[in-house]
Amino acid sequence: MATTEQPQGRSLGDRLYDGAFKNRLWKSIFRSGYPNTPRNQMLAVATNVFLHLHPTRIHRTHVKITHTFCLGGLSFFLFLGLTITGVLLMFYYVPSVERAYGDILALDTDVRFGKLMRNLHRWMAHGMVLTVLMHMMRVFYTGAYKPPREFNWVVGVVLLVLTLLLSFTGYLLPWDQLALWAITVGTNMVGSAPLLGEPNRFVLVGGFQVGQAALIRFYTLHVIGLPLLAAIFMTVHFWRIRRDGGLARPL
Amino acid sequence: MAVAEQAQPASRAVRARQRRVREEELLVWPDLVFVEFISAVLFLGLLAILSVLVDAILLDQANPAVTPNPSKAPWYFLNLQELLLHMHPALAGVIVPTVALIALGAIPYFDTSNDYQGEWLTSPRAWPNLVVGAVVGTVGTTLLIFYDASFHVRFYEWIVNPGEDRFLPGLSEDGQPIDNPDFNAWPESLNWLKSLRSLQTEVNWPTELEAIPLGSKVLRTDLLGLPAIDLDVNFPAMVVEQIIPVGAMVGLPLLLSAAAWKVGLAQTRRDHMILQFSGFIAVYVILTIIGTFFRGEGLELVPYTIFAHH
Ligand code: HEM
Repeated sequence: MATTEQPQGRSLGDRLYDGAFKNRLWKSIFRSGYPNTPRNQMLAVATNVFLHLHPTRIHRTHVKITHTFCLGGLSFFLFLGLTITGVLLMFYYVPSVERAYGDILALDTDVRFGKLMRNLHRWMAHGMVLTVLMHMMRVFYTGAYKPPREFNWVVGVVLLVLTLLLSFTGYLLPWDQLALWAITVGTNMVGSAPLLGEPNRFVLVGGFQVGQAALIRFYTLHVIGLPLLAAIFMTVHFWRIRRDGGLARPL
Repeated sequence: MAVAEQAQPASRAVRARQRRVREEELLVWPDLVFVEFISAVLFLGLLAILSVLVDAILLDQANPAVTPNPSKAPWYFLNLQELLLHMHPALAGVIVPTVALIALGAIPYFDTSNDYQGEWLTSPRAWPNLVVGAVVGTVGTTLLIFYDASFHVRFYEWIVNPGEDRFLPGLSEDGQPIDNPDFNAWPESLNWLKSLRSLQTEVNWPTELEAIPLGSKVLRTDLLGLPAIDLDVNFPAMVVEQIIPVGAMVGLPLLLSAAAWKVGLAQTRRDHMILQFSGFIAVYVILTIIGTFFRGEGLELVPYTIFAHH
C-alpha cells in the first residue's frame, strides 16, 4: 500500500458507494451502513427485524448444508410461499358449493398465471408436509431434542400437526370428487372415536355429511385459523432456538 | 470489569477453549444469510419449473351421490386408512394417531441424557440400531399386511400345485370360480389362519361369546347427558379388531427393544430411541406407500395410482 502513489481525490466507486449507502434515506431505513465490515454485518443482522430471527454469529458446523439440510428453513420458506400464493388464490375463490369448483376451473383456464399460482400452492403444500417430516427426522438423528431443547421438540410436534391440518383443510376447497371423498373418508375416521367421535365429526363437518357447512368451516380454518396458530407456534419455535443457545452442538 | 479482573484463575486451557470457540464462529451475514438466500432462490426455481410442467389434479365436480371406488384420504393420512383395514376404526382413526403423537412428543422426556447431541448419529451403535429398527419395521409391517391379504394361502397353494394349473381355482374370464377337483387347497382345518378376520369367522365360537351383555352400567353415557348405551360385547370380534392389533402394536416394539437389549445392541436410552424411532418411521413410510400405490378398487391389495381416475 505504502508504495502506491497518493490517490488523486476520491474514486468514482467511492463516491457511488457513499451516495448509495451514506445518505439520509438509506440510514433512515437500515440504521447501519452497507454490511461490508464485520461491525456493519453484525449490525445488519441485529437491527433488522427479519434478520433478527438469527443470532449475529453462528458456529461453523451449523452452516454446513449437511448439518440441517436446510429443512427447517425450507419448511418456513414454503410456509411463506404458501401464504403469498394463497392470498392470490383468495382473490378468485368463493367458498360456496355452487361456485368453488367453477372458480378453480377458471383459475386453471381463464386467469392469467392462475394455473401457475394454483400449481405452486399445491406443490408447496405437498412439499411442506415432506420437509417438516424430514426436518423432524434430522432433529431426531442429530439428537437435537435433548435438554435444554425438550420443549422446542414438543412445539415442533404441534407444528407438525398444524401442517397436516392445514394441508387437510385445503384439500376440500377445490370441491371436486377427490376433495369431497378424501375429506369424507378423513372425517369419518374422526367419527369412529368412542363416544365423542360422532359429535366431534358433526362439529367439524357442520352436519351429517360433507357439504356447504363443511366447506365454509374448512375454508375459514384454512385461510385464517390454522395459519394464525402456525405463525404463533413458529414464532415460539424460532424464539426458543435463540433462547436455547442456537442449534445443538456437542458438549 | 471487576468481574473480569477477578476471573484471572480461569486456566489457560479454558481461555484457549473460549478463544477457539470464538474462532469457530462465523458471521451470520454473509455466511448463513447467503446460504439461505441461495436455497430460497433454488427452491423457488425448482418449484416454478415443477408447477409449469405438472398440473395439480382436478377431477369432476364433487357429487355426493357418486362414491368413487376406491375413496382415499390425502396421501399423508393413507397410513391411517391402511390401518383401518386391519383393526377397529376407533383404534386406527383416533387412538393410534393420538398415542403416536403423544409418544413422539415424549421422546425428550424419556431420553434425557445430554450426550451426543448436535452431531449426526455419533453415539456408539447408532447406525446398527437405525438399520435394525428400519429393517424390522419394514419387513414386519409388510409381512403382517401380506398375512391379512392371505398371501401365505396363495403361496402355499402355488407350492403344492405344480404345473400349469397352479393358480387354479382362480376365476374364469367371466368371473366364475373354476371347478378343479385336482386342486390342493389350503387345508380346511387351518382355515382360521387364512387372515386375521378368519379367526373370528372360521372358528365355531359359542354364541354366548358373540353377545356378552354388559348392560348400561359400563359406559355411563347417561352421566354426560347422552343416551344410555346397552353394551353387548362380541368377544370374537373384539379379539380380531382390538386385542390382537393392540397386542401387535404394543407388544412387537417392546419385543424388539427387549431382544436388542439382550444381545447388547440397545444399551442406552438413546439406543432404544433410535431403534424405536427408526422402526416407527419405517412403518409409517411402508403403510403410506401401500395405502397410496397398492390399494385399488375395493381397497384390494393391487398396484394403483391416483391417475387411474382420469
Ligand atoms: C412448520 C414446521 C416447522 C418449521 C417451520 C421449523 C423450523 C425450524 C428451523 C428454521 C430450525 C433451525 C434449524 C434447522 O433449519 O434445522 C428448527 C430447529 C428445530 N426444530 Fe423445527 N420446524 C418445524 C417443525 C418441527 C418439528 C415437527 C420438530 C420435531 C418434532 C421440530 C423440532 C426442532 C428442534 C428441536 C430444533 C432445534 C434443532 C437444533 O438445535 O439443532 N421442528 N426448526
